[in-house]
Amino acid sequence: MMAQTVRRGSRQSAVRIFAQEYAEASLIEEGVGEYDPSFIITKLGARVNRCLVAGVIDRMERRDGDSGPSYRGQIRDPTGTHYFEVAPFQPELHADTEELLARFESGDRFLMTVVGRARWFESEDGGVFTSMRAEDFTVIDQDLYKSWLVEAADATLRRLSVYDASLESELDPGSLDKAGVPADLVHGTILSRGHYTDFDTETYRAGVLRALSLASGRAESVLGASPPEQKKLEPDVTGPAGGPVDAQQVIIGLLSTKGDDLVEYDALVGACTSAGASREEAEDAIENLRDVAGEITEPRFGFFQILKEG
Amino acid sequence: MTSNGMYTSQVAVVKQECPEAEEEEIENEFARYEKDFLIPPEDALRSVIRKFQTAAGKEVDSSAPTTVRPEKKVDRFAELGGDDRNVTIEVAVISYTPRVQTVRGEERQVAFGWIEDNPWESSSNRERWDFKDWGEKGGSLVPGSVVRLEGASVNEWNDKRSVNINRTTRVTVLKEGSDGTPPIGDEPLSISKASEVEGFVNVVARVMSAKPDVIVRRDGSGEIPVVRGSMADSSGSIGFLSWAPFEHEAGALVKIVGASVRKFRDTPEINVNDGTVVEPYHDSSFPDVAELSASSEATIADLRNGMRDVGITLQVESWDQRTFESGDGTSKVVRSGDVMDPSGRCRLTAWCEFDPQPGSFIRIEGGRVQFWQGSPDLVVDNIEQVAEISEPPWEKIDPEGHWVDVDLSSLVNGGSRRGIKTSGTVVAVRTDSGIIERCPECRRVLRESSCADHGPQRGQEDLRLRFVIDNGVSNASLLLARGPAEEFLGMEMDGVRDKITSDGRDGFVAHLRSRALSRPMVVHGRSIVDEQGAMVLADTAQLGDHPPSESANAVMQKWGVVL
Repeated sequence: MMAQTVRRGSRQSAVRIFAQEYAEASLIEEGVGEYDPSFIITKLGARVNRCLVAGVIDRMERRDGDSGPSYRGQIRDPTGTHYFEVAPFQPELHADTEELLARFESGDRFLMTVVGRARWFESEDGGVFTSMRAEDFTVIDQDLYKSWLVEAADATLRRLSVYDASLESELDPGSLDKAGVPADLVHGTILSRGHYTDFDTETYRAGVLRALSLASGRAESVLGASPPEQKKLEPDVTGPAGGPVDAQQVIIGLLSTKGDDLVEYDALVGACTSAGASREEAEDAIENLRDVAGEITEPRFGFFQILKEG
Repeated sequence: MTSNGMYTSQVAVVKQECPEAEEEEIENEFARYEKDFLIPPEDALRSVIRKFQTAAGKEVDSSAPTTVRPEKKVDRFAELGGDDRNVTIEVAVISYTPRVQTVRGEERQVAFGWIEDNPWESSSNRERWDFKDWGEKGGSLVPGSVVRLEGASVNEWNDKRSVNINRTTRVTVLKEGSDGTPPIGDEPLSISKASEVEGFVNVVARVMSAKPDVIVRRDGSGEIPVVRGSMADSSGSIGFLSWAPFEHEAGALVKIVGASVRKFRDTPEINVNDGTVVEPYHDSSFPDVAELSASSEATIADLRNGMRDVGITLQVESWDQRTFESGDGTSKVVRSGDVMDPSGRCRLTAWCEFDPQPGSFIRIEGGRVQFWQGSPDLVVDNIEQVAEISEPPWEKIDPEGHWVDVDLSSLVNGGSRRGIKTSGTVVAVRTDSGIIERCPECRRVLRESSCADHGPQRGQEDLRLRFVIDNGVSNASLLLARGPAEEFLGMEMDGVRDKITSDGRDGFVAHLRSRALSRPMVVHGRSIVDEQGAMVLADTAQLGDHPPSESANAVMQKWGVVL
């Protein structure tokens, strides 16, 4: 088996991952030392610090803050939606992002690929919302998209086979090594098996099959098997994991973790959009909670707090 | 293909949401999602509705002004006010006591403890505060450690101030706590595993060679007697250096407890010290010396800087000699050439009168390895170490086409190699790709027309492209110098300069990105692997264009997937 030397400060490889696996991840491994990277650990044991994703653009918006413009976008692959952002401190990407935005706003839709760094947002009610900060992106053609589908399918199948092997093995590095788990997945497998309760891998397998049939041009045979989230005909309220997202719940969840701390408006909206709600829903939910339900207060303009009982 | 009638039910749903939209346009949009973006109509519904809503001006982005709570960065607790939020401060963790507390009817893990400001000074110059950890940061808040808190807040109650560490607080460990030493187990490691660690190990191995040697102190104060040699098990072999008396001869099977593995250049070595226990070990099934030495035969791919006692068989590609004047004025001759084996190619330098014919096969015993331009270079110091062999060990390799296919992960985890072919997906296009200026004195890249060593210079133009290639598990930087870059771009350097002048460097890089990003790249060249990671210097680089349907079939076969 191949030796896997981990060098300090070396670049993290880009994990090929479908939106569903990434969105369903809720385990964070934070680096302890100052320059240690942090990772999102998926149910299949991928340790994601950097990832390579692709899909059709589904949303793109610009927001102007004190430190400069930032951008948020969504791309869809056959399993769900990836959320990415371009931060104010990435001016080198702003020109290209503006171009994307202009194309999107003109009504154009296109396939694109994004190399991103893992980001997440945690709320106390157990919710972890995963997204990524774009490092590099470009518009791609369909052949290249299909190639990415194949790479991501390959990588997912590899993780699925490791997951199956781990079920028969003790969860320590020596045993997993003996069970044939490749070195890059040993640590993530131990963490994920220790964190996630048992789950059905079938939905991940179905996503892989959908991607492979699209890439191989045999899509017709499985088009019937569309992902569960799109079964209902309600537009615009499904989250990355499939269920409708209650923006109010997200806001309450977030604020209740903060105790007396104030949370700014954008952080609330960001949490909701990361969870799959639209910006409008988030804004409506904030107003509703403040003005109608009276569950949250705005002691300072733009800053919110949960209203204490009694 | 006409889309008439194919999307009737979906179109109806869109019409319901966006009555202004034209049916034909909606159908075209569904057709486009299905054909261009591979999204079937039932899945595309949401996106299509959103698109027509946007077109109708229904969904107008109201970009609310961002209000950022300012960060308050302080050195001392005394600078903090009772209602400060988003505080950044470096502190020493004194104690950490976890406790379960009921918050709003729910049991939560919280923790209390003491922290002190001014953590880099002695404790007499520090102030101590209580803190409460709401964010389960116990993993980072180890007593004895120094941490930076970002986004902490101040709590004031009964005139007493304390620090709240929240779930969103970022805790950065600046200095590890005291209980950080990893325990040493009793389990022996295989030689190949021991070679990967730096630190204390236990091994069971057969002594392959052991001979007394001396190390001369640099300050001239004398010599230290040592024993040098090598040991092996079925997983590989490793050199050792014993600073303590070592009484086991070649062939002995030993168990070594508490030896340390250190690296001499790039080569791990087992160090035996006074505290190390070396004792005879009995295992009749352990491979004998003959078996182990056959398996520890080196190939070019195995060579690492700093290796000694190398036995290897080679095919000579070219041979040259050169006379130079040494420091004391006498003239010396050094001979060197390119050599190959089935695993790759490298340089061989001979400090003795050795003149093999190109195409001949040679055998080296007891050679050593040093670095030459970032690649391992075999060195022989006297003629007894080399011999020509008449029986060809392999069918003669044609130097022209001798590229060894190496998977990117093997390349990154191996040593520096020449004559390799590898591939990976481009995941980054470096923004300094394009025309650069080099110092006319030392060829280093100028920054703002100035060389780090030679000051301001009129630079010489050069062309280079930099990428990162990645296979999902490993990655390497990829460098294309002028020749390979011109070939890759299909454009001379002058053309590149014109393009950068007209489009700007950003434009040039954007063009490069749209051409290469997320595409597979096949590279012929050499690799340099060091602590920074791996770099591939390309002789040629081409973007792959494997038909995706073929790759899809290959992946299905590999994993036994049936559609």
